[in-house]
Amino acid sequence: MASIARQSPLLRQSCLSAIRAPLVNRNAAGVSQMVAFHASAKKQILPPLPQSIQGTVNDPAPVPHTSPSHGSYHWSFERLVCVGLVPLTIAPFAAGSLHPVTDAALCSLLVLHSHIGFEASIIDYFPKQRVPKTRALCNWLLRLTTFTTAVGLYELETNDVGITEGLRRIWKA
Amino acid sequence: MFSQKLAQQPLRRLAVQQPYAMRWSMTNGVSPASVALGNNVQKRQAATSSNTSDPTQILARQRKNRPVSPHLSIYRPQITWIGSSAHRVTGIILSGGLYLYSTAYLAAPVLGWHLETASVAAAFGALPIVAKVGLKSLMAFPFVYHCMNGVRHLVWDLGRGITNQQVIKSGWTVVGLSALSTLVLAFL
Repeated sequence: MASIARQSPLLRQSCLSAIRAPLVNRNAAGVSQMVAFHASAKKQILPPLPQSIQGTVNDPAPVPHTSPSHGSYHWSFERLVCVGLVPLTIAPFAAGSLHPVTDAALCSLLVLHSHIGFEASIIDYFPKQRVPKTRALCNWLLRLTTFTTAVGLYELETNDVGITEGLRRIWKA
Repeated sequence: MFSQKLAQQPLRRLAVQQPYAMRWSMTNGVSPASVALGNNVQKRQAATSSNTSDPTQILARQRKNRPVSPHLSIYRPQITWIGSSAHRVTGIILSGGLYLYSTAYLAAPVLGWHLETASVAAAFGALPIVAKVGLKSLMAFPFVYHCMNGVRHLVWDLGRGITNQQVIKSGWTVVGLSALSTLVLAFL
């Protein structure tokens, strides 16, 4: 017992130093390096959250469910929309305003293209693991506004002069 | 090996010069009687088991200190990545404008706004020429840049023009052409 009592302060000290050591080293190195090499203030617009490990450290990265509709078909569909937009974008400059049918095609492709673009941005900037609620909110907001945009464009096409003729009139005003 | 010999040297010297002291130091004064009576307790200066901290947590702690991606401002501004972010920014501006305008157009009858083409054209026509040119440039630049850069992206998707030199050249070409077409469109 006596020996254990004598050894325990030593043990405790060594454990504490083992835990503190990386922090102290990092702090000392970080602070001194920052003072030495940074003349301006440190600008960190998005400081990282404390990192966490899900499961154990040796778990492999989860492989998402594979499906061609989220892989190659999705990619090809996006490119098809983009390629389709090229002539529909050039045509109004060459031939004035578009026929209602081509105008409607332009509107549909624009809505699809915008929806895909916004979706990609939401996936990039609101990671599901970090901000699951904001991600879900943004996704639903996007679906809602895509719907209102599509209906609004339908109104513009049916009750007004259409998007290309409208822009031409505003531009020439 | 040399250091081991160096460490053994005083011990050898002690054994040769004072054999009794050596024997006393080896047995450390422990008599068989004291061992039998339990008065002698062996001392270990080094702990051989670390039951106070979980060794599996060492790796976990290291993983939690992984470096994070640094802020954009530390990278040298180059046409490759600036052009790429500009593509996304202009796309969000254009699509955001489309979404806002069409949603507002849909809600206009309820809210009493006048967003019909005739009203908007009349309002735009009433602006001074400087404001007209300024607004047209603000609308035209994202549009032409995104369209031309989009064609560049489609060319890349075919696997062409993806060397660093080609990307730099096409990037500046798109910037120049967009600036030129913005000016043309603004004064149209």
